[in-house]
Formats: sequence, C-alpha cells, structure tokens
Amino acid sequence: MSQRISRRQLLRFGVGSAGLLIITPLVAACSTPSTPIGQSATTSSTPGSTVGSTSTGGSSTASSAIASPTAATGGGGGTLKYARTTGPTSLDPHNTIVSGDVYTLNQIFEPLYITDVKGALQPHLATGHTVSADGKTYTFDIRKGVSFSDGSALTSKDVVFSILRARDNKDGPLSFLDSAIKTVAATDAQTVVITLKQPWAPLISDISAFSNSIVPDKLQGKSAAVFFQSPIGTGPFTLKSWTKGGTVVLARNQKYWQAGLPHLDGVEFSIVSDDNQLVQQLQGGQVQAIDSVPPANVADVKANPQLTLINAPQWSVDLLLFNEKVGRFADRHVRRAISHLVNRAQISQAATFGTAQPADSFFPPTLQYYDNTITMLGYDLAAAKSEMAQSKFAGGFSTEILVPASTQSWNQTAQILQEALKAINITVKIRSIETAAYKKAFFGFDYEIAINNAVNDISDPDEMASFQIDDVNGGSTSFWTGYHNPAAIKLVGQAEAELDDTKRKALYKQIQQIVADDAPYVPLTYPPALKAVSAKVTGFEVNPAGAVRLENVKVS
Amino acid sequence: MTAEPLPAVPPLSRSVRRGGIWGYAGRRLLYAVGVVVGVVVITFLLLHLIPGDPAQSMLGNRATPQAVAALRLRWGLDRPLWTQFGSFAARLITRGDTGDSLFYQVPSRTLIFPRVGVTLELVVLAGLFAVLVTVPLALWAAVRRDRLADQVIRIIPSIGAGLPALWVGLMLIVVFGVHLRWFPVGGAGPGPWLTFRGLILPAFTAAVAIVPVLIRSLRAGLIEVLESDYVAAARAKSLSEPRVLLVHAARNAAVPTLTLFGLNIAYLVGGTVVVERVFGIDGLGNLLFDSISNRDFPVVQGVSLFFAVVVVGVNVLTDLAASAVDPRLRMTRPVVRR
Repeated sequence: MSQRISRRQLLRFGVGSAGLLIITPLVAACSTPSTPIGQSATTSSTPGSTVGSTSTGGSSTASSAIASPTAATGGGGGTLKYARTTGPTSLDPHNTIVSGDVYTLNQIFEPLYITDVKGALQPHLATGHTVSADGKTYTFDIRKGVSFSDGSALTSKDVVFSILRARDNKDGPLSFLDSAIKTVAATDAQTVVITLKQPWAPLISDISAFSNSIVPDKLQGKSAAVFFQSPIGTGPFTLKSWTKGGTVVLARNQKYWQAGLPHLDGVEFSIVSDDNQLVQQLQGGQVQAIDSVPPANVADVKANPQLTLINAPQWSVDLLLFNEKVGRFADRHVRRAISHLVNRAQISQAATFGTAQPADSFFPPTLQYYDNTITMLGYDLAAAKSEMAQSKFAGGFSTEILVPASTQSWNQTAQILQEALKAINITVKIRSIETAAYKKAFFGFDYEIAINNAVNDISDPDEMASFQIDDVNGGSTSFWTGYHNPAAIKLVGQAEAELDDTKRKALYKQIQQIVADDAPYVPLTYPPALKAVSAKVTGFEVNPAGAVRLENVKVS
Repeated sequence: MTAEPLPAVPPLSRSVRRGGIWGYAGRRLLYAVGVVVGVVVITFLLLHLIPGDPAQSMLGNRATPQAVAALRLRWGLDRPLWTQFGSFAARLITRGDTGDSLFYQVPSRTLIFPRVGVTLELVVLAGLFAVLVTVPLALWAAVRRDRLADQVIRIIPSIGAGLPALWVGLMLIVVFGVHLRWFPVGGAGPGPWLTFRGLILPAFTAAVAIVPVLIRSLRAGLIEVLESDYVAAARAKSLSEPRVLLVHAARNAAVPTLTLFGLNIAYLVGGTVVVERVFGIDGLGNLLFDSISNRDFPVVQGVSLFFAVVVVGVNVLTDLAASAVDPRLRMTRPVVRR
C-alpha cells in the first residue's frame, strides 16, 4: 500500500514539484525591474591640477599634472565588504551595459574623463583637451606617469586602440556614443587626436562613459576572452578572484597613479539578490556597504546611528508611457488629460516614501541643460476634464497599466492612477507581471500604458533626448512609445551640433517644453540611488550614474 | 494508514515476486530515468513557452531591436525550437552538460557544481532537523494520546506549517542574526565551520514546513501499532515500555513516515529556492532563481536536471529502504488488500 502511495505521490510530487520549482519563482518574481543602466564616472577628487574644460565645446590648456606613483603609500585601510544585488557577468567595458559589470569594471579600468558627484566632467587619464575652431578636431593630452597594474606605461597607443575598439564593436550596447568619431590617431606618446564627422557637442561626455574605458593596446596580444578573465587596467584596484555568479575580490593596485590612493587594501563584493537581506547584513555588521536600500527601509537606516544612508541623485527618471500604436493614446488630448491627473507629490510620498523627488521635466536635474522653468501639465482635474472633452474619446474607455510585479513603488503608483483616472471615466486594469515577461510586453509594444525608468549614461542629455524623441534613428521608437514629432527631432539634431553653451541650453529648453506639452510620456519622479554604509566608512560617494569610486574610501 | 496488525504473510507464488530485491530496484530505477527525462523535456518546453527573452533581460532599456537580434543570433536563439532542442540534447548526451550560460559564457556545470555542496548540506541539515524534532515529539504524542501533550504537539507545529518560509526566515534573521548576533544574518562560509553555522537558521526554516506532516504521520502510525496484538503480546511478556515503543512499535510505524520523508525531500529541495534567497546563500536555489529571472536557459536546465536527479534518486532510495524494512512492499501489486 505505501508503494502505491509512493508511486502516485512520487509522480505528483516529483514531477509536480520540479515543475513548481520552475514556475514558483516566476510568479513570486522579485528580481530587479528594468535593468538599470550603469556606467562609470565618479566622485574622486582629481589629484594634481584639475585643468580642463568641464563644459564641452570650450578649449582648455593642457597643463602637465604628473602623477608620482613612487610617492604612493596608501593602503593599510583594510578590506571593504560590499554587498550588491548583482555581480558581474563580463568585465569587458566595451561590450556591456549591465550594472553588475559596470560597477565592478570601473574599479579596474578608467576613461579619459570622469563625472564627479555633482555630474561635472573632470579630466582623469587625460589632463585636458583643445578643440579646433570648426569643432571637428579634439586634441587630448594624456596624463604622464600613469601605468597599468602590470607596470607598463599608459601611452596614446592604448587610448587609440581602446576608443576604436569601443566605436567599432557593432554589438556594443553603447557603441552609438562614439558614432560621430571619424578617426582616432596618436601624434606622439602623450597626444591623441580625434576627428569628427560633424561638430559634436557631447563628445567629452561620451568619452567619459565607462564604455570608453582605456585598456592596453591590442589587449596585450591576448584574446578578449582571456584578457578579461584577468584584466589589466589603470584603475585603483585589480581583480584578485572572481567566482562566476558569486563573490568578486579586488586587491589594491600597487602601481596606482594617484599618490597615496587607494586607502583600502582590497574590496570584497558579495552578491545578495534580496534587498531586505542586504539591509539585514549591514545591520548585522556582516558587511560595511550595500548598494541598494528599499525605499521602505530608508527611515530605519536613517534612524540607526551606526549606519549612514546615501541618497544620491541620478541621471534617472520614472516615466508613465503611452503606446501611441494604440489609437486612443495617439490622441494628444487623451495623453494630456491623463497627465493632468498624475499627482506627483502623492506618488512621491505614498509610493517612494518621499525618497524620490517629484519630476518637473523629462530630464533629471543632475543632467546638463535640465530646465525647471518649463511649464508642466500639473495636477488639475478641471483641465483634465476639458482635455478629455476635446478628445475623440470623451466618453472614456477601459485600459491597462503594465508594471513589473516586483517593483513595489510602480505597483503603488499604478493603483494611485487607477483611482485618479476614474474621474475622467477611464477604467484601469493593472497588469502586474513577472519582470522578463514585462520586458517582452513593453519592448514588443504589447501594452497600452506602462511605467518604466529612463536613464542617461553620461552627463550630456543628447543620449536621452535622441533615444526618447528620435523615433527614426534613436533605436527605440521614442522609448517604445511610437511618439513622432518632426519639430522636436529637428531640435535634437541641432542641439547635437551646437557648440555654443547658451544656444544649446535654449534648444534643450525648447525640447523639454515640447515633450511636456505633447506628453508622450509623463515624468513621475526622480529615483535616487539609495545606498548605505556602516558609520565607520568614509569617503563613499555616488555619482549620478550610480557609480562608486572606491579609492577614497576608508574604513576606520 | 497501513499499520493495523499485519496478518501473517500468505505464501506467495513466484510469478508475483518477480525477481526479489534486484528486480524491484531495477524497475524503480527505470521508472526514475523516465521521470528525469520527462523533467528535462518539460523544463525545456516550459522555458521556451513562457514569455521573456534573455537578450532583453541582459540589455535592459537599451534593448533596441538590432541589439536584441544580434544577441539572439550569437546565442543561437533565432533557430527553430526543435533544432535548439536537438543540439541541446546532443550536448547533454555527449558531454553531460546543458550548454554554456548565456550570461557568463561558461559551461553551466562550472556554475552548478561549486554550488552543489552548500545546497545539499542545507537539505541534509534540514532533513536531520526534521527527524530530530519529529521522532521524540511523535513518540510523546502517541504515548500521551488525546491528552494535553498530544494536543499541543499536534497544534503547534501545524501553525509552523502555515507560516510562509519567507516570514519564518525573516523573523529568525531579525532575532538571531541582527539582534542577538548568534548566527550570521545571511550567507554561508567560507570554510566548513562557517558554512555549518550559516546554514543552521536556513535549515531550521526549511524544516519547519515539513515537520508537522511527519509528526502526524508517525504519530498515527505509532498509535495504530500500539493497539496491535503483537504489541499487547510484547507488553504481556512484561518488556519495558521504552523497549516496546522503540524496538517493536517504532520500526513498523516508521515505514509510511519514511516514504513520506522521502517525498518531502522534494519539498525541501524546492524550498531551497526561497530559503537561499531569504538568507542570501550562494547555492543552487539562488542560482536557479536568478537564471530564471534572466532567462539564462542552459543554467535553468542544468539546475532543474540536477534537482530532478536528486529528488528522484532520494525517492528510489527511500523506496528501497522501505522495502528493506518491509519486504511486502516489493510486490508489484499489494498482496494484502484491506
């Protein structure tokens, strides 16, 4: 008899639970929502002189800021245990966009310029650059006295190889940043000249992206697969060990060019996929830094004297998007009516616990040329009703909002909107599904209204503007909305080629105003990077790309 | 439930026995292989049926149609499903591997094997906890049948079964990890001692869910056995009560519980997905979860194949163990009908 039970149950439990094993996580789904796009750039104080133009287009004289690696003592600062939600899958800077990769490889590789905490560009492996009068030739002075972690000196050959490798990698997710570059050449060991196909204002921003990090010439003759298993860069740390899908251990780069840095002897990155567990490990003293604090836990972390919360503004904005391939959302009045019912203050408080500021442009404030003087469609019931009355769908309709089930704040936002839209006879069903399925639906235009997050990888807004407005060349059909406004597209092109800062600012103001009026997507809030460290940790700063440079970090 | 006093085994004809223990083991194995093959095929189909695309997962919001197409081409996901299954099956048979991880570009087994140890240790430890809690409590409840101890033992663990592992785990972490700091908040290792220490709370969490079922089964078995004639006979011989309980009653009452325990190993293995996640343990469960979220097909196949082999293997072993305890179980159909 127990044999009969066992057979039947074996079948039911064995196969059933194997099946359940597969299905349960899909249903539970608590992975990250849209993979945030990270990148490099940083916080550090640049040693030596910080000569160089921070705004693009200008020219800067190259003064020699020679690092003195011989004077480098540093170290002795112990090991930082840093738990993150994702780890690296690849350390090839020219071939990735995943945050787990980027935030690891940017401790090992560095670009010519970096972005500081405020979002400003600072010379790094370059000491400065000059721009020709026609805006098409950039001459970079490469910093002297910089060496790779194996001791070989950084020369212009390495820079030429790296930037061309980044540009010519067809599969590289960010290779489009270098699309304006015509040639890259070394004129001497410390000078690199980049010529452009047309005047291109965002160039220095583009060059500062992690995807333009400098690797040794020809990868020291190794294949990419071999080289990036034990990478050699100019960054403050070197790769000591890497368990695939697990812990990554970095060691201090003894040859680092910034005197006395890094303070730490090493870094141990562990992966903790669950963000509650992350916070608990920090509270329990098991790690000294975590890369993500759920908004719901922010108050707890702030109240704890042994912890420091880091709330860093990002080049990131949460958007409510309309699929214009669906007839009613091609109607501008419908989009504007809905926009008037988005109560950003309420969403900020209820859905993000006040951690994310209400948005007032589709550019986040940390981005160059962000303009808060534009007029947004504010929360206004009467205006919403009047817009709806002017639309072809005055009687109202039923629709759905697509959100990934695992992103709590977006699910709450959807509920707030569901309630608000009743006022104009729009019945909303919330379609909250597992993350990968959500992506499939969103990228496949299989949605009506969706919530998603848009990021910029560099300080220049051109990336975000062309990706979200230029439905022909931007690559994403205006961030998968199908939005098409020829006037706005034309302005985006003009802004790319405009080297005068004041004129560029005016162009981007116009662009932000058009988007606010057309409402192809409604900016909701600006989600910050919420990280936390033990109070013993100092020097831990996060730049608007979400990147942390660890060379200034100390553990007392 | 089985165990009212089993009548004397009637004489059996050879045709019913079919080759004794080895024949029985052979049939069970053949059956097990069938189940494993089924799991492989069903997992493959399910993975490709559910919506979601590894290329989109990897590229995030930069998943432009061109970039996605390029990645799908590189990963061979643009080919027809049956071609993909063909090359998958060929590689599985010839090289014993389910393919290269799409995200890490290394063979799946190099991701899976380093994580087998910690997950198996977690399952074994959870099983051990379950037995250590079950046996004494079930004995106590059976002896004190319908009295206070019995009621309490039946009710309290049932509450535990009703609590989700997620919650139990979090509570244990907050109390023993964050406040008392007796155990690590999460993670396990490095080294055997730290691994063991890190696995105590997770194993307990996993065990909580299956203990009530086991207690009920063993208690019921014991109660029926204790009412049987041969126990009465044993008592009549004035054997000591512990001897009656442990030697005469427990062995016979254990058979159904043993089978049930084997089946619950499947539950424990499945439970590792949640438990490893809550406790931040870098084991197979966590790997499976992340691989499913990313749609890293070869790794999901690899882990589910491994889990299937473990679960089916344990079930075969418990069946064999049960048949060793009670040879009547080797019959292809029950001889004794009630």
